Amino acid sequence: MFHKLAHHWNVSSRREFFTRAGSGLAGIALTSLLAEDGKLKAASVAPDPLAPKTPHHPPKAKSVIWLFMEGGPSHIDLFDPKPKLKELAGKPMPASFGKVVTAMGTSNNSLMPSQRTFTQHGRSGLWVSDWYPEIAKHVDEMTVLRSCWADGLNHVGSVCQMNTGSILAGRPSLGAWVTYGLGSANRNLPSFVVMLDDREPVGGPKDWSSGFLPATYQGTQFRTGDTPILHLKPPAGTTDQQQRSKLDFLKWLNEDYAARNPDDTELEARIGAYELAYQMQSAGPEAVDLSKESTATKQLYGLDDPETAAFGTNCLLARRLVERNVRFIELYAGSGSGWDAHTHIEANHSKRCRASDKPIAGLLTDLKARGLLEDTLVVWGGEFGRTPFNEKGDGRDHNPWGFTMWMAGGGVKGGQTIGTTDEIGLRAVERPVHVHDIHATVLHLLGLNHEQVIYMHLGRAERPTITDGKVITEVFA
Amino acid sequence: MKRLHLLAAVSAFSFVYVPLMRSAEAHKEFTPMQRRWWAIQKVVKPPVPAPKDAAWVRNPIDAFILEKLEAKDLKPAPPADKITLLRRATLDLTGLVPTPEETQAFLSDDSPNAYEKVVDRLLASPRYGERWARHWLDLARYADSEGFKSDETRPNIWRYRDYVIRSFNEDKPYDRFMKEQIAGDELYPRDPDALIATGFNRHFPDESNARNLMQRRQELLNDITDTVSATFLGLTYGCARCHDHKFDPILQKDYYRLQAFFANTRIEDQEVLVFGAERTEYAEERAAWEAKTKDIRAEMDQMAKPYLAAMYKENFDKFPEEIQDAITTAPEKRTPIQWQMYYKAKPQLQHSEEEAAKKMKGAEAQRWKGLEAELAKYDDIKPPDLPVAQAMIDNGSEAPKEYVLKGGVYDAYGEEVQPGFLSILDPDPAKIVKPAGLNSTGRRSALANWLADPQNPLTPRVMVNRIWHYHFGQGIVGTPSDFGMMGERPANKELLDYLAATFVENGWSIKKMHRLIMLSNTYRQSSAYNPDAAKMDPQNKLVWRYNRHRLEGEVIRDAALEVSGRLNLKMGGPGVFPPLPPGVDPRGGWKKNEDPSETVRRSVYIFVRRNTRYPMLEIFDMPDTHESCGRRNVTVTAPQALELLNNDLVLDWARAFAGRVLNDQGLTLEEQVDRAWKLAFSRTPTAQERQHAMEWLNRHTPILANRLAKDEKVPLPDDLPQGTDAARAAAMVDLCHMLLNSNEFVYVN
Repeated sequence: MFHKLAHHWNVSSRREFFTRAGSGLAGIALTSLLAEDGKLKAASVAPDPLAPKTPHHPPKAKSVIWLFMEGGPSHIDLFDPKPKLKELAGKPMPASFGKVVTAMGTSNNSLMPSQRTFTQHGRSGLWVSDWYPEIAKHVDEMTVLRSCWADGLNHVGSVCQMNTGSILAGRPSLGAWVTYGLGSANRNLPSFVVMLDDREPVGGPKDWSSGFLPATYQGTQFRTGDTPILHLKPPAGTTDQQQRSKLDFLKWLNEDYAARNPDDTELEARIGAYELAYQMQSAGPEAVDLSKESTATKQLYGLDDPETAAFGTNCLLARRLVERNVRFIELYAGSGSGWDAHTHIEANHSKRCRASDKPIAGLLTDLKARGLLEDTLVVWGGEFGRTPFNEKGDGRDHNPWGFTMWMAGGGVKGGQTIGTTDEIGLRAVERPVHVHDIHATVLHLLGLNHEQVIYMHLGRAERPTITDGKVITEVFA
Repeated sequence: MKRLHLLAAVSAFSFVYVPLMRSAEAHKEFTPMQRRWWAIQKVVKPPVPAPKDAAWVRNPIDAFILEKLEAKDLKPAPPADKITLLRRATLDLTGLVPTPEETQAFLSDDSPNAYEKVVDRLLASPRYGERWARHWLDLARYADSEGFKSDETRPNIWRYRDYVIRSFNEDKPYDRFMKEQIAGDELYPRDPDALIATGFNRHFPDESNARNLMQRRQELLNDITDTVSATFLGLTYGCARCHDHKFDPILQKDYYRLQAFFANTRIEDQEVLVFGAERTEYAEERAAWEAKTKDIRAEMDQMAKPYLAAMYKENFDKFPEEIQDAITTAPEKRTPIQWQMYYKAKPQLQHSEEEAAKKMKGAEAQRWKGLEAELAKYDDIKPPDLPVAQAMIDNGSEAPKEYVLKGGVYDAYGEEVQPGFLSILDPDPAKIVKPAGLNSTGRRSALANWLADPQNPLTPRVMVNRIWHYHFGQGIVGTPSDFGMMGERPANKELLDYLAATFVENGWSIKKMHRLIMLSNTYRQSSAYNPDAAKMDPQNKLVWRYNRHRLEGEVIRDAALEVSGRLNLKMGGPGVFPPLPPGVDPRGGWKKNEDPSETVRRSVYIFVRRNTRYPMLEIFDMPDTHESCGRRNVTVTAPQALELLNNDLVLDWARAFAGRVLNDQGLTLEEQVDRAWKLAFSRTPTAQERQHAMEWLNRHTPILANRLAKDEKVPLPDDLPQGTDAARAAAMVDLCHMLLNSNEFVYVN
């Protein structure tokens, strides 16, 4: 499907490229669906941007659930214990750690050790603090990446980079690249779904935008309630019988028009789009209908507790979407910068951890019990971590130089840590992994080579990792 | 530039590529292939060919097109019928559908120039500027807000949108249009439109709380460089940010040479647009008000002072040292780059007294309120604020140094560069003249003059190709913002050059170019499919037929509003806020227009929140406003179907549309069907369509009658004529709703 291409490349025929890459030069969706139904001659089928595509190599994961702790969780209070900070408590950061420019100008403030208790868990003995007791039970499924780093200082650029690879808006998000690279594995739900547990994330919908890729690939924000997709329900006062009758009339009009204007696959595609829309009207509400989930399942995700119910519901929905072949699901926990603890980190993180601990643990348990974990990749992390020096006495500033993320499930080796930060948790030192490396690794697990997922844009062969990215092979089971 | 042309001494009718080289240095840097790059060769107006079927040739465009078709043994498509042509021309020039009256007038006009009259009428319509401005706004990455985290409103940027509409309507010569947008402040310093025009380079997304301002400045300069080169030159300069362009002869140095024209620019969001007596009068009135309110304001200033100082300090402390230095250095000692940093930091340090007042408590807050009330008593003698533009100006006459940045990294300085054009065209620094009487470098004037030079090989080609692209849905060069090696080659270079030369000869008149194109037989072809031609030229590059294409979201919305009789044609002013779907709540806000007629204005006036495009437009491929867009994606998706099918607003338009049909007195049901067809499709239904529609209405009406019998609410027109059968009326709403959803409605044929 994809040619091996560098970020700049030479090709004799752009048209050939577009046709073969199915990039949606004319962007005609749904034609493969029509072709399957025998409505289009194979020769006249335009590339369907959502048709399933062959991956570059056998995938380890079919779906991704990305748990985005928005605002920046403190790695040194969760997964990366730093006893040295106790020694240096209240002192300024020794010069040997190097100067940093921070968002709030706090780098001269004194160092602040963690008030959490860290213990080792599981057979692997990975360290997790007492803020995440339930998740800690799953360490043997997890690869903990302790040496992540990113480029942005502020939330908006950093959230943008964790989604798109760039701190500047305008590029496609990873979920959009995945949908572009693999097509959709289902017919009547979006392939890339985003859910929020609170306010809009910083940057808003551009965080799941398709950037310069056709809009077909952008993420769909699932809304709470029984109609997760915008305009999924017929307008008030329209019954199903009435709507079906209207659609039959429309179909007749459109088929008549297509007969008068033959050999136009786009017109045919638009007829198909209405039929698909009609199917989505029932598939969407069915996917988010939790009434058939057992009480035990709901409890597992913490739906019975007001503190965990919001994120727990999203985690449970994510499992249902995985079952329905949705490829990329991004769940924001504390959406709207909830983890941004510039002050009162104890209070802030206690609440955030409590809201996400049981739901995430429940998700891992449930996925495993249903045999879904082996081909579902679960990624946990924020847009950055937090500083070892204090802000306003009891908070921590943004830290993009060193922070923790973890992965579990599809193709991921359990019970290991990769990389280290320095003795105070400020910078990644051993085996640093950049956001691009994380993206390259996620793509690899899905069967895509990040250097071969190419879209021509303004004379450049663009790819998800821009000009960088190395797969972190140690992650693989 | 001028000297180059002497060297490029080609005979007027020769197509031999003569490399425009003149220095040994440049010679070394470029390959012969790069020097033969078609886009940088001088535009030479080619002779009009004489194809065999001379009868088909109505104007020179046809001769160029037919010659190529004949070379492949192809024939152009038969002419489009009158209604199709009228609908096409009207959608194309105004983004609306013809009214039944306009259709009738055209059908009954048998004069040979009937169509010509239509084109002239459309070009003279104010709707034209609204339609074509939207294309330019795509290129300008126009938005009404900042982007990034807070996505704050840019309260006066809409004047730029109105300026573009006005410019198209006035047929402002394109050379002038370019000059105003690049350097209006330097070239036409007291012309309000020229000051507003500089907003073109003000449309970058910006981060209001950035701390690393050196990096932020570089990002803005990159954005400006990429946008200017893509929009005006059709070049992907962006590829040369980190290294020499791999395919096009654009050196990394050239990226920073182009950027250097903008090195000394800064935002001016309070550029006053009033001069002379009016301004003096304002100043006098203001002074009078100030004198009368002196004591009140002095007390308020005093009260706000400590809060303002605290806010200042809080933000000042967050900046790294070099920025703090720039701020604290005495003005007379600030270097040009420190001035740059000073102006970038300023908005974060300055706070309004209103913000200060929000922090006051108790008696202090009470006192403040009292003073505010006192002050308000003088409102009747306070002159209203003068209109201002959000502009881009130079920050003094000394520019900071510009360097090649290694790997594009903002602080990895390489070789110093001076402002300059493409080295392959002219390796020397551009000649900069400081404008007399202005505190400005004159750099952008030099760039503007180069772009607008009739001899510039790129600008006229790029613009005529854009015009062609928007008329046909496909450019002569298929990649309108990339004329480089990775872009498409012109499908008909002679035609492109003919148009480019003609464009300049006609004083860069865009309207004359529309006229030339639209009066050609090429444009008047039908979109009929021809299997032989499709085999030979599947992409229709030779234009053997007209390309049927889907309307943009803006046009679908505007045309549907027009057919429903709801469209409000009021022009200009701040952006409007049609209702958002429930649950969509953008950061930065979405106001409610108290006057509902404001919400049904043309789509070009809808407020553009950068991080949250208006969903109905976004779903139909309105481009992201984070970068220049020269060619929109065209997708066909199920969510688009949901939008037109289930959005209450669309059903609302259908109700109004049905109301128009039902309120025409004395029509039979069949005549009502005819009327609906005429409004939506500009034609009467065929006998078969009429029969099918009648049969469907007869089947569909009982569904609604049953529901009405059960007292259920069904969508009905607001103003139902006396005695109308409600079930019939509801069925007509549903019929009209489906006409608005149909392919015939959303495609231009």
